[in-house]
Amino acid sequence: MLKPFPSIFRQITEAAKGLGLEENMASSSSSGLTFKLHPLVIVNISDHYTRIKSQSLPPPSTPHAASASNGATSDSSSPPPQPPPRVFGCVIGVQRGRTVEIFNSFELLYDPSTHSLDRAFLEKKQELYKKVFPNFYILGWYSTGSDAQESDMQIHRDLMDINESPLYVLLNPSINPAQKDLPVTIYESELHVIDGIPQLIFVQSSYTIETVEAERISIDHVAHLKPSDGGSAATQLAAHLTGIHSAIKMLNSRIRVLHHYLLAMQKGDIPCENSLLREVSSLLRRLPAIESEKFQDDFLMEYNDTLLISYLAMFTNCSSTMNELVDKFNTAYDRHSRRGGRSAFI
Amino acid sequence: MDIEQKQAEHIDYFVKQASNLKGSSLGNLVVEATSHPSLFAFSEIISVPNVLELEGTENAAFLDLLRMFAHGTWSEYKSVASRLPPLVPDQVLKLKQLTVLTLAETNKVLPYDVLIQELDVKNVRELEDFLINDCMYVGIVRGKLDQLRRCFEVQFAAGRDLRPGQLGSMIQTISDWLSTSDNLLVSIQEKIRWADNMSEMDKKHRKGVEERVEEVKKTLSFKKLQTVSRPTPSSEGMKRSFPNMV
Repeated sequence: MLKPFPSIFRQITEAAKGLGLEENMASSSSSGLTFKLHPLVIVNISDHYTRIKSQSLPPPSTPHAASASNGATSDSSSPPPQPPPRVFGCVIGVQRGRTVEIFNSFELLYDPSTHSLDRAFLEKKQELYKKVFPNFYILGWYSTGSDAQESDMQIHRDLMDINESPLYVLLNPSINPAQKDLPVTIYESELHVIDGIPQLIFVQSSYTIETVEAERISIDHVAHLKPSDGGSAATQLAAHLTGIHSAIKMLNSRIRVLHHYLLAMQKGDIPCENSLLREVSSLLRRLPAIESEKFQDDFLMEYNDTLLISYLAMFTNCSSTMNELVDKFNTAYDRHSRRGGRSAFI
Repeated sequence: MDIEQKQAEHIDYFVKQASNLKGSSLGNLVVEATSHPSLFAFSEIISVPNVLELEGTENAAFLDLLRMFAHGTWSEYKSVASRLPPLVPDQVLKLKQLTVLTLAETNKVLPYDVLIQELDVKNVRELEDFLINDCMYVGIVRGKLDQLRRCFEVQFAAGRDLRPGQLGSMIQTISDWLSTSDNLLVSIQEKIRWADNMSEMDKKHRKGVEERVEEVKKTLSFKKLQTVSRPTPSSEGMKRSFPNMV
């Protein structure tokens, strides 16, 4: 029934993208590679981090909440707040020409004494993954934290013999409600001359999120995790409505952008770009999306069906309560009338 | 979106050509542009200064033709056919395709009869062939053909060139859309608040009922201790207290 909406939304997104509104960070790397990150990698990293963090907490710990893309919430109430543990792992994917696509990731053991990753384990895992995904190569490694550190360069150099220019994917597990973007950054290593000495430093690169249908469905599912004890109808309803609310808000903001753009064009601030205007006019022609008579009929039918079912459920509930009440009455009257020799029949 | 991308290079090519030619040679260019199978947008070509110069000269007919292709339909062409140069079959086809786009602007459901009349086809079979081969496979229109109800439901139609006044109405539509979605957001928030309030009230009510049950239980056990030898009054007490509990 609501099938018009997703395709309209996609059209709007593409029109908005045409205005140059990408939601990615500015890049400062000069290698010219385009990176595509799959959401599976992000979920893997955050899951790894959440698991390690909750395992390292002392036993009487507050229950940790498994969240979709950001890391775990605050620590337990025990004083000395430990620094959040860092997790490490490897990212794998495909590189085609100038496009690097990161598909999957797996965890690695980190040896804090030698500041290096367990090499034998890495190679064994690599072999196993090669059997299942023969196309995927090791593209780099990941870790958690708020910023890239000096010791990371060591691990980076170690990996350089597997891949001459590995990637470093960094997930920032601290939750910042004001932040709009994903707390994931991809670093590349570049040889810069600093103080006359050529050194390898990390440079940030931009990336886009790429997904396949199957992945999108599972990520969607994870993102819509209802609270596990949300048995009460009100919280579930509230959660569902909140989801719809945020979706419509996004739609709203993008339409507002188009609106401003058209207004500016009308006033003459921006030179008229005909192809974009044509796209907008074709978009607007798709409205109203749900006005037709057939829709009204189907909608009313579904609405009536739902009301009928809830009415029926209410009836059943009432009659069962009534039945219990009558039983209680019977019990009460029975005891009373047994003395009188008459049985009360209700 | 894809249409625009496909057209973009053709538009660039024709604009370049138009800026290089002048006068009557532009006439040939116009014919070529309007017969090109993937080109549906002409406002860029119209805005090239060399083309605008044709206004008023003996080749003005070509400019009018270009304008007809940008904004007009097949029936409009037939009514002014005498003033404009004759069309080759490719151009006729293109004008008919553009007519479908214009019809899709106003209605989402196009009855077959209207289409047959506007497009000058003889029967449903030809109409459907035209729609399927020349509109949907080209990609300018997407929709469903409903033979039983003899109509064509348009789900997507590519945009035509804008008339000068259309920008205002587009802005109006967008602001209406914006206000509708704003209202919707507000009403959703109200519903969420209502749901929370209802659950609060329900919890309070349930707590109140349970408290009263506890109270009655206590008074009952109190009375039982007092009147353990005379069961009748206690059942009276129960009889009196049960309606209260319901």
